[in-house]
Amino acid sequence: MTRIRISQAAADLPRRGRPLLGAALALALTLFLGAPAAAAVSKDTALSSEDKVCLDCHAKPGLRKTLANGESMPLYIAPNGFAESVHNSSGCEGCHSDIDVKAHSKEPKLVKSKREHSQGLMEACRDCHKKTMKQYEDSVHSAQVQAGSAKAPLCSDCHDPHATRSAKDTTGGDNVACQQCHKGVSQAFAASIHGASGDEALACKDCHRTHNIKAAAMGNHLKDQCVSCHREVATSHAQWLPNTARHLEAISCPACHSPGTTRRVNLRIYEGTAAAQQAAEKVGVPQFIKLANTADPKGSGIDGRALWSLLQDFSRNGSDTRTIVRGRLEVQTGIESHSLAAKGTALKDCATCHKQGAASFQKVTVSMAGPDGRPLRHGATDGILNSIESIGSVGGFYTIGSSRIKLLDIMLVMALGAGILIPGGHLVVKLMSARKRKAAAAAEAAQAFKSNESTDRS
Amino acid sequence: MSKLYINPLPVRLWHWANAVLFIVLVVTGVQIRYLDLFDFMSFRNAVVVHNWVAFALIGNFFVWLLFYLFSDKNKAYHPEFNILKLARACFAQMQYYGYGIFKGEHSPHHMDPYNKFNPLQRMLYQILMLFLLPLQFITGILMWDIKRFSGFVDMVGGVRVVDTVHVLIFIFFVFYLLIHPYLATLGHTPTAHIKAMITGYEDVEDETPAAVQATQAPA
Repeated sequence: MTRIRISQAAADLPRRGRPLLGAALALALTLFLGAPAAAAVSKDTALSSEDKVCLDCHAKPGLRKTLANGESMPLYIAPNGFAESVHNSSGCEGCHSDIDVKAHSKEPKLVKSKREHSQGLMEACRDCHKKTMKQYEDSVHSAQVQAGSAKAPLCSDCHDPHATRSAKDTTGGDNVACQQCHKGVSQAFAASIHGASGDEALACKDCHRTHNIKAAAMGNHLKDQCVSCHREVATSHAQWLPNTARHLEAISCPACHSPGTTRRVNLRIYEGTAAAQQAAEKVGVPQFIKLANTADPKGSGIDGRALWSLLQDFSRNGSDTRTIVRGRLEVQTGIESHSLAAKGTALKDCATCHKQGAASFQKVTVSMAGPDGRPLRHGATDGILNSIESIGSVGGFYTIGSSRIKLLDIMLVMALGAGILIPGGHLVVKLMSARKRKAAAAAEAAQAFKSNESTDRS
Repeated sequence: MSKLYINPLPVRLWHWANAVLFIVLVVTGVQIRYLDLFDFMSFRNAVVVHNWVAFALIGNFFVWLLFYLFSDKNKAYHPEFNILKLARACFAQMQYYGYGIFKGEHSPHHMDPYNKFNPLQRMLYQILMLFLLPLQFITGILMWDIKRFSGFVDMVGGVRVVDTVHVLIFIFFVFYLLIHPYLATLGHTPTAHIKAMITGYEDVEDETPAAVQATQAPA
């Protein structure tokens, strides 16, 4: 398995036990040989005598250990890889200080599983990489580990501690570590405009960062990443797109820039109208799942009224501010969100979204951040965007045309009917009574004539 | 029969401009909302025209507002605070439109330049000009740039609430646009009110002293 690099803190590593002689030799080699790979030569690639003792056993390719759970863990360390790694300077003991060399081979250490072993050694990483570990602990990966995930990556899942190179010696464009888990996404990305642009191709970390990776479907941080390069987004869209700012706020970039994608409306729960962050579950308090299941006992989806009750329950359960919903049009899968295509293929037809029955508005979910930082979702009923009952609950999302309220359409038809029938009926009665009116007018004129005559005689 | 100068030039200009702009707004509004049913123009063009025409309508509203703010003819819009009197007058007018008009009775309302609206019209136009139309302007402006006004939009319950109010008023205006031309034919001749909105002068049957005075000194 190829293991990689990354790493901000490599330069900060303490260089324990660096022999002066080694440094002098490296300097001499650099000056006199003038090798292009100066960086490589400047490294201390000599193994310490203590490490050589360890490698006496651990450099044997077949060395393995059977763990308590039955897994077989390889104990082989490639000497050259380790010698050239940045961790060479720390030596074996730098990370494995708990090992008593004398008793090591006589009293085998009990290890439950590979994962437990790797998780335990993360404390050793923290000794040197404090800043990076802090970032990791703020990530969705760490949150998943905390939530009990058996798959979420630990340090050693992305970095081979025995072959870690300095960030300076890596190309920085390598996505191999991510591909181990995100295979489909990686394939889609490789074929996308950003993945297939040769030397200018982006790496995963360019948008997702390395250690403080956030859940992609949460918040707007990925949109901010797009805008950080495509700074002209607001002005270029404003040239043709009415209400540009609203569109950019309520629609994820791939929803228009990934051709042929399937979209959905995500009704995100927020605490307070001014809140920038989505409401999040507290660890161990699974409110959302519980309340959503209560609101939708049949499992057919939450409707407008049930969503209103759900929001009221959230507001009552400890939230200081009113809990509201804000909608976002987004793609349905991570693969689709990575299938970004050339600018010319982007969606520009307003009817795709603003026509009633638009495919983009047929799937609606309600979501909030789960305890591991990823969104928890619950399906909504088909008619939630078109129901009068949703005015209160889905007040924060509306799309002209496609999410129009049916009752208002009925009222418009009634207004049209009344506007035609009332004058029409009145006109008909008026025409039918025209004779009577003429007779009344003639009688009135005759009466007036008579009274005038009698006035003249008198 | 005498002529009364009922509709001064600014009012006539405002009225006809308002009528044209209203119709354009209804047509573009229908196109925007019912893209699945109509295809007069593209959605984007409908939105752009709707926005520009709406701003023209708002500007036109101020022609009406400024004229009546600085004219003593604004008495036509003064509310009647005596509820009993108002109710009786409204009932008499409704009775006329619903029954008396068919028998050839005369309208209980006697028009003069300071009292050109019958009680029903007066009430309707108070609501329409001072409440519904400004509310339509506000909701329209909020939706014109939702993001810019998002604080206020959120405060009133969100964009769906704003749109619903906008559409409810639109529905009322659609009804009004159908009723209004018909009611305009219910003068003492079918074209009397319409001519008055073109020339400014209305033929009236009964001459009151106030009307004579007004005829001699048109605004």
